[in-house]
Amino acid sequence: MRHFRTLLAHELRTALLSGNTWASAALFLALMGGIHFFALLECSRAPQPWTPVEATFRLFWLPLLCVLPLLTMRSFAEERRSGTLSALLTTPASTAAIVWAKFLAAWLTWAAFWCAFLLFPWIVNARLGTAGDQRLSDPATLFGGLCFVLVSGLLHVALGILCSCLTRSAALAALLTFIALLGLTAIGGAMDSLPIESWSWLGWLREPAAHLRTFGHLQDFAGGILDSRPLVLYITGMMLSLGLAVLAVEGQE
Amino acid sequence: MSDVAPQPEAAVAAERLTKRYGSLTAIEDLTFSVAPGEVVGFLGPNGAGKSTTMRILSGTMAGTSGRASIWGVSVALNPAEAKRHMAYMPENNPLPEDLRVEEYLRLRARLKDVDAGQVDARVNKVMEDCDLVRRASGRLIGQLSKGFRQRVGIADALLAQPKVVILDEPTIGLDPHQILGIRDLIRSLRGQMAVLISSHILHEVEQVCDKVVIINRGRLVAQGRTDDLRRELLPHAGFTVVTKASQTELTALCTAVEPAATVEDGVATDLGWLRYRVVLPAQSPARETLAATLLGAGLPLREIAEERYGLEDIFLAATRRTPAEGRRS
Repeated sequence: MRHFRTLLAHELRTALLSGNTWASAALFLALMGGIHFFALLECSRAPQPWTPVEATFRLFWLPLLCVLPLLTMRSFAEERRSGTLSALLTTPASTAAIVWAKFLAAWLTWAAFWCAFLLFPWIVNARLGTAGDQRLSDPATLFGGLCFVLVSGLLHVALGILCSCLTRSAALAALLTFIALLGLTAIGGAMDSLPIESWSWLGWLREPAAHLRTFGHLQDFAGGILDSRPLVLYITGMMLSLGLAVLAVEGQE
Repeated sequence: MSDVAPQPEAAVAAERLTKRYGSLTAIEDLTFSVAPGEVVGFLGPNGAGKSTTMRILSGTMAGTSGRASIWGVSVALNPAEAKRHMAYMPENNPLPEDLRVEEYLRLRARLKDVDAGQVDARVNKVMEDCDLVRRASGRLIGQLSKGFRQRVGIADALLAQPKVVILDEPTIGLDPHQILGIRDLIRSLRGQMAVLISSHILHEVEQVCDKVVIINRGRLVAQGRTDDLRRELLPHAGFTVVTKASQTELTALCTAVEPAATVEDGVATDLGWLRYRVVLPAQSPARETLAATLLGAGLPLREIAEERYGLEDIFLAATRRTPAEGRRS
């Protein structure tokens, strides 16, 4: 546990001082700022069935695919390329402690990005909002949406860490993460949009499909519904990915 | 009851260590040991399996079969405990470029279980020992010269006062002044910790090490003290003789004192002087009397000198022999 704390502090410090993190943060905020701006624009033109914050959160997959791979790509790939991972493994710190420290540091950075995004609705509300009207920054939607991206982020960041363990090239790690996240989001989206309930021959798929409805999870979280199934999905997915990451590091070294 | 663990017979022990990559055998049946406090040179040509062996001993790579132990602890069965007794500096000494030397050493000290209250003291001590305090402590590692980077690697290895230090090519790429500094540093560790050091600079190894282990093509070909190996691998004594005598005359005189003596063809030097090489068995009493015999015979003699066999000669002789001969010895 002492090693884990030491490694986590080191990883957080490295992330804070890394130009890569600040570039990723700038890209994330520019992307989210743009999305939020256009959502506000749409709502100002005509009444919409959704609030600007809801519309922004529904496009969570855009920063997920564009920014998260940049955040996790260097975690192991760069250390393997430079050989510093071998040096780290000569200490009594376990591989699991190293993997978990890198994962948690990346997840906390990802969480910090999303928390920084919350400033946009807050600023908009402060400048344009009227007393009693919460449409510009509904706290419940904001809290629910944030909970969703943080909980689903456990699996997404863990996938990024796993992809980074598989190669010495940070660029290839980013590409692998992009493909994995795209696949996961596309499956989640497909499960939401396909009328599986009406296809009797796909009856066996109904139950697993209910688990994988990514956008449905977002709606549930934003609506204040706490369903344990997505929690189990994201946490077990994270544990599986990190377990594989530990095996990958031990196997390669 | 004492809390102090008994000192094992071997600080480092490799028993029938084998590593295979598919059909390629990197090392096979490697058995050797390093006693506590001993400095041992680990030698072999490029691709002999030195780095593979060191990586297995350090727990960063698993062997295919055999047993590796550090301070009596199996590296495969209890890697965390084995790593507590050991420090390993890999070849090329990979270091994070964006950390300052002092920050890096503090991080490593905490990861190596140095007591929280002792971290500052240990970091300062190793920086002093490795001459890093004045010129490098506050600098980014990425800005350091090769010599200082090697010093940082060695400082890291000494941080937690391990029982065993494994250094893979610690002097590679250094200038002669830096090599001297590293040599003195390693010499100062003798008696305090067991050191296994691989190097291509045989002169350095000879100066620093109590014992050498020589491998070739993944197999052990010789191990022991330099003097013992010299006797074992080079069972003859060579003399350089510069004289005006013919080969026949010289051979007659030499075989008179030692029937097994041989005289190799002379090489003309200047003004009619010839340089011969006379070879006697290493244990021959004629080694003591050859010079007197030649002088007593009235031979025109300008020079007679016994050749000194260094580690380089031992290394060449050892790497020429077969592994079976190495095992028998």
